[in-house]
Amino acid sequence: MNKISISLNLNGEDRVIDVFPNRRVVDLLREDFKLTSVKEGCSEGECGACTVIFNGDAVTTCCMLAGQADQSTIITLEGLAKNGELDVLQQCFLDEGAVQCGYCTPGMILTAKALLMKNSSPTEEEIKVGMSGNLCRCTGYEKIHAAVKNAVEIYKQKLEQGGESIG
Amino acid sequence: MKKRGKGVGSMWYGIGNTGLPNPAAAFVEVLGDGTANLMFGAADIGQGSGTAMAQLAAEALGITYEKVRVTWGDTRVTPDGGATSASRQTLITGNAVLKACEQAKGTLADVAAAYLGCQPEELDFSNNMVTKDGDATVTMTYHTLMAEMKTAGKMAVGAGYYNPTTTTLDPEDMSGIPYEVYSYATTICEVEVDTETGEVDVLKVVSAHDVGQTINQSMVEGQIEGGVVMGQGFVLMEEIEVSDKDGSIKNPIFSKYIIPSNLDVPEIYPILVESEGGPGPFGAKGVGEPALIPIIPAIVAAIEDALDVRFTKLPIFPKDIVAAVKEKETDADNGVLN
Amino acid sequence: MAKEYSVIGKSKVKVDGLEKVLGTTKFASDYSLPDMLYGRVFRSTVPHATVKKLYLEKARALDGVEAVLDYHDIPGKNRFGIIIKDEPCLVDDKIRRYGDALAVVAAKSPEILEEALALIEVDYDEIEPIFTFERALEADAPIIHGTTNIHQVKHLECGNVDEAFKKCDIIIENVYSTHRLSHMFIEPDAGIAYYDDDGLMTVVASTQNPHYDRNEVASLLGLPYNQVRVIQAATGGAFGGKLDISVQCHCALLTYHTRKPVKMVRSRSESTMVSAKRHPMTIEAKTGATRDGMLMAMEVKICSDTGAYASYGPAVITRAMVHCTGPYSIPNVRADATFVYTNNPMSGAFRGFGVPQVAVCHEGQMNALARKIGMDPVEIRIRNAHQIGSKLTTGQILENSVGFIETLEKAREKAAEVLS
Ligand code: FES
Ligand code: FES
Repeated sequence: MNKISISLNLNGEDRVIDVFPNRRVVDLLREDFKLTSVKEGCSEGECGACTVIFNGDAVTTCCMLAGQADQSTIITLEGLAKNGELDVLQQCFLDEGAVQCGYCTPGMILTAKALLMKNSSPTEEEIKVGMSGNLCRCTGYEKIHAAVKNAVEIYKQKLEQGGESIG
Repeated sequence: MKKRGKGVGSMWYGIGNTGLPNPAAAFVEVLGDGTANLMFGAADIGQGSGTAMAQLAAEALGITYEKVRVTWGDTRVTPDGGATSASRQTLITGNAVLKACEQAKGTLADVAAAYLGCQPEELDFSNNMVTKDGDATVTMTYHTLMAEMKTAGKMAVGAGYYNPTTTTLDPEDMSGIPYEVYSYATTICEVEVDTETGEVDVLKVVSAHDVGQTINQSMVEGQIEGGVVMGQGFVLMEEIEVSDKDGSIKNPIFSKYIIPSNLDVPEIYPILVESEGGPGPFGAKGVGEPALIPIIPAIVAAIEDALDVRFTKLPIFPKDIVAAVKEKETDADNGVLN
Repeated sequence: MAKEYSVIGKSKVKVDGLEKVLGTTKFASDYSLPDMLYGRVFRSTVPHATVKKLYLEKARALDGVEAVLDYHDIPGKNRFGIIIKDEPCLVDDKIRRYGDALAVVAAKSPEILEEALALIEVDYDEIEPIFTFERALEADAPIIHGTTNIHQVKHLECGNVDEAFKKCDIIIENVYSTHRLSHMFIEPDAGIAYYDDDGLMTVVASTQNPHYDRNEVASLLGLPYNQVRVIQAATGGAFGGKLDISVQCHCALLTYHTRKPVKMVRSRSESTMVSAKRHPMTIEAKTGATRDGMLMAMEVKICSDTGAYASYGPAVITRAMVHCTGPYSIPNVRADATFVYTNNPMSGAFRGFGVPQVAVCHEGQMNALARKIGMDPVEIRIRNAHQIGSKLTTGQILENSVGFIETLEKAREKAAEVLS
């Protein structure tokens, strides 16, 4: 098998790497780019721990091959905080106590982020459905929902004040 | 047809290992700038023992929470904390932390008393200040106190361990003192059962827990919410299947062993009850395991209430509901009274 | 006057919360070290057997494989277990469950590792496997450990149960059963072993009990306790399922022989296969009460299968027994429990240690009783509830911190407000 060259925009930076085409994207991110916030919980696309934002969508990376990442834009949790300042979602997860063990957290935050990038004022139902692919065994999800709802409110206020947009 | 029902479940839970010694220890050092290093063995597995210990130390030393730095679960640095299990760390490591802090505070209080011209017992430590009880004018900052400590060549260090008071249970009849203290809880829930599909929807859950004293409200609520949802999985969704050919687990993966997702979550109302006089730090008890327990019988009871059928076998999957409904109808057709 | 607390009771942000929302928290699988090897276990695919021959030569000869070890390579004690040391790090005498560890391999890459594992073969001499409680107790059943398949038997008694039942107006009898469950923490077990700069054997692992792990690693390697350092990595959920030894000893053994860092990350299915499960239980209960709902007597029989190894079985049986009445004062109680070994997956600690199981029974009995006498289920609980001064079945008198009745009242109040 020959290596292929992959170009992608990763957390705002253009990157090029040679990998075997059958390398999973989760390994590409964790092993080759050392972005260990991307977690692996099931390796079968069921738990959502390996979620990243891929071309604007929340996507699980454990069942995705490196070839698919060519010419893509990927955001991992490492790429969310800007200049040391937490993203609103990160702050809300922290403040609401939405984090227990924290293993599901990167995937949860990124799924919520992708959701809000598409729809800045989702209803409660839309939040729930949008986040239903991410499993958490610790929190019972209540505080995760609360965190996302708070973030929606804060983003709204920021928008009204003419501040930055969600994306 | 959709039928609703309500159910009650209660529980008690002895904190710590049963009738066995199970100590834990902690070390503390208050530093020159009024911050503190706290070290203990207890593993934080997400439930938040590290945070609870920082809060306890801050309260005990009279410094703000942010000034406490915790290190846990490193055998080269931290003393043994035993297992994070049996809902024991708040009680046991918590008391060890308080003992360590008291020892450090003893030295601090002597130096502060000499400086302020009062007795060590008269001092109140809080919010990074040391103040004479009942006289707000006799006061000093922690900063000054630590400077005085330096001048005096003294150090604010402490080590403590705690072992709950229990006895070995009698091998004949199990009499004795198995636990030092017990947590209690009651859960009441409401379900909706679809008699055709057998689906059970848990709608609302009220779960009241006697935690002795709350250390961190958000974390206790988080335990209760997580426990409620895990309990739903217990009754309605989860079961490990073992092959009777080779003893292997047939469903070791998430696509075959279904745990609750966020769409299964009911409205949850956690209630924290405090009860006095317990042996824990400021009276606190454990909640990690109690959080799971009472929802389990409560859901079973609510289903029974909805269908007027008894369930004594878990799990209760949709097929079991459908079968029970059918059996009840057949019995009714045959004139059997339930 | 009660002191106003300034820190406790408040919803402080968690000490480790910031790193967790930033994604910088290091879980065990996130560690990488120079020269690191990847380790994995070769496991049995039969539940009960002796090993006739284990063929390790081909794997050892593979380029990039740095160690292939079996029990002969263990310098110290080849048994661990929190209460009873009955589980081998690598099978020596016989296989007791599907998935028992037979050999460990360390290789330079995950790909080579996989290839090496595929080269290992084994010949078994199979023994009849035991999968049921009943079969475990039969006279002609093969013995799994020692001289009997009975893991533990417990008896609890207070008052005069037989006399008390004669005086009861109402007797409720039922048989309850609960099932085997898995913790399904989202992070599969993982760890890494290495020698630190001081030459100390160090293991960083996902665990609930690093000090216990330290002692087991030291005993496996024949080292003094202070020559081993175990560090708890951030742990991605556990619920009792990370109390037993998982990868700690296997990693350490590979590092001991290769002198190199070795990382082991279990797959989801390996993690679920070999970590402990919740004890399935059958609970027979007989409860006697007066017409006005006062509990007089209870008799309970608990049977459970602790699987291939003891793990936390002894803790579960004892706790289940003590808690089997529920939080109620019952003056006459007799309880018996029997746990057996089988060749099923190991049962052990899982959030509640047997109390969720017995709660299904004691609450089932309370609800049945309430229905039978037409009493409100909260009311009947209040009537029998533990309070200060209550005497437990163990003879202990409750002296403080008994908020049970308040949980009943507060829950009832809130339920009246929010339930339909
Ligand atoms: S690891 Fe990718 S979905 Fe679970
Ligand atoms: S916080 Fe542990 S899995 Fe979500």
